[in-house]
Amino acid sequence: MVAASNSPVTVITGGGSGIGQATALRLARNGDRVCICDLNADAVNATAERISADGGSVFTGVVDVRDQAQVSAWIARVIEKYGQIDCLFSNAGVNARALVADMTLAQWSLLIDTHVTGTFNFCQAVLRHMVPRQAGAIVITSSDFAIVGVANAANYCAAKTALYSLTKSLALEFAPHIRVNAIGPGPIDTPLLRANRTQAEFETARRTFEGRLPIKRLGQPEEVAAVVDFLLSDRAAFITGQLLQPNGGQVMW
Amino acid sequence: MTNANEHQGRVAVITGGSGGIGGAIAARLTAEGAVVHVLDVNPGAGDTRFHAVDVGDEASVNQVIDAIGAAHGAIDYLVCCAGIYRPQPFLELTLDVWRQTLQINLTGMFLSCRAALKYMTPHRFGRIVLFSSMAARTGGKNIAHYAASKGGILGLARALAVETAADNIRVNTISPVITDTAMPRAVVSDEYMQSRKQHIPLGRIGKVPDMVEACLFLLSDDSSYIVGQDLRVNGGSTLW
Repeated sequence: MVAASNSPVTVITGGGSGIGQATALRLARNGDRVCICDLNADAVNATAERISADGGSVFTGVVDVRDQAQVSAWIARVIEKYGQIDCLFSNAGVNARALVADMTLAQWSLLIDTHVTGTFNFCQAVLRHMVPRQAGAIVITSSDFAIVGVANAANYCAAKTALYSLTKSLALEFAPHIRVNAIGPGPIDTPLLRANRTQAEFETARRTFEGRLPIKRLGQPEEVAAVVDFLLSDRAAFITGQLLQPNGGQVMW
Repeated sequence: MTNANEHQGRVAVITGGSGGIGGAIAARLTAEGAVVHVLDVNPGAGDTRFHAVDVGDEASVNQVIDAIGAAHGAIDYLVCCAGIYRPQPFLELTLDVWRQTLQINLTGMFLSCRAALKYMTPHRFGRIVLFSSMAARTGGKNIAHYAASKGGILGLARALAVETAADNIRVNTISPVITDTAMPRAVVSDEYMQSRKQHIPLGRIGKVPDMVEACLFLLSDDSSYIVGQDLRVNGGSTLW
């Protein structure tokens, strides 16, 4: 599908893998002009090649979301190219597991800076261009762990809970014309879920997840992409400030 | 991109399917090619298959849903919209109105789910959407019975979701904020309805199409990993 000149311009962070990549592919198929960035140049280029091969429209960047100057510069290039931004999916994330007693400040800061400050940086840069047009939709990747705590993940839980709080504040500050929602994925089979785990450790984790999940299987990135698509679209025109959880029933509240 | 034909031929049962929200969902599913059965006390406007049923009556719910299940061999979708809204100050709230509200709003959903699941579980396919209300979380003046019934729906849905998810049956709820339909208009003034806008960040009350889109999303494969969740379609009025 060829993107039309009036089709939505959608910015996606963490577009090189997992949920960000699946969302980029889906929205490009919808006809969006997709702008993806990632810290990993090879990953973002690989996603872009798949979009192009599919006939979609894509613009890329290698951006460290923690660095406000890099974020501003890349958003300026997006605006230079397209003149507008309609949607933002702030999704870039990392993980570093440790018990609090053993957690280094670097492990703590990596997660807070990437998830929370990175989302702040992108939301601020993008909202500056949405507000004058009185239109826009934002989705932020939070987590089930915004609601429940887990061991070995205090940094991740704190970051994801902060993102849910940020979502609610943004929804109130930028209503009625701009909507801001969060997603709270459960265990999704992505490179992030596999990171820092051997194949054997991953299989053990998978069995543990599957055993306790009502739906008895891990989620796929495409299943989360469909939820992001819904929340960014006019189908969700009356939904803002909410956390929608594609989580296989892991957390219900 | 959503699958354009996924509702084609699906057998759908919609309780309260003659009302503002239920009727619009029935019309939309019919337009998308589903085989739609409406259960309601009053006939609606559409050309759907209508069954006069009080959802609080066990025997008639079982009889009608069994007949639908037998006729089609399966029931794919159950959407429960049937409900009553009869505000009364708490100290004047009669036991009759309390019971009637719980019977229709909450027990009616239990009975409908129980009857329909018999035609979902064997096929390992089912999508259930129950309409709760933001009142379940926020409460409100004169609606203790209504809020209790709607809160009960959230608990019912979560428990049922856990029981059925492994059978490829997904149960979720929708919690609308006040929506422009005949149900609230029967008991509150237009002035009151419009005044609610002030408390809704998106600057308006709910519209029927908002609820239709939310319901279609939860029935579709776009929500394939969403189980036991409450989709709050409320314009940001309550952020939890």
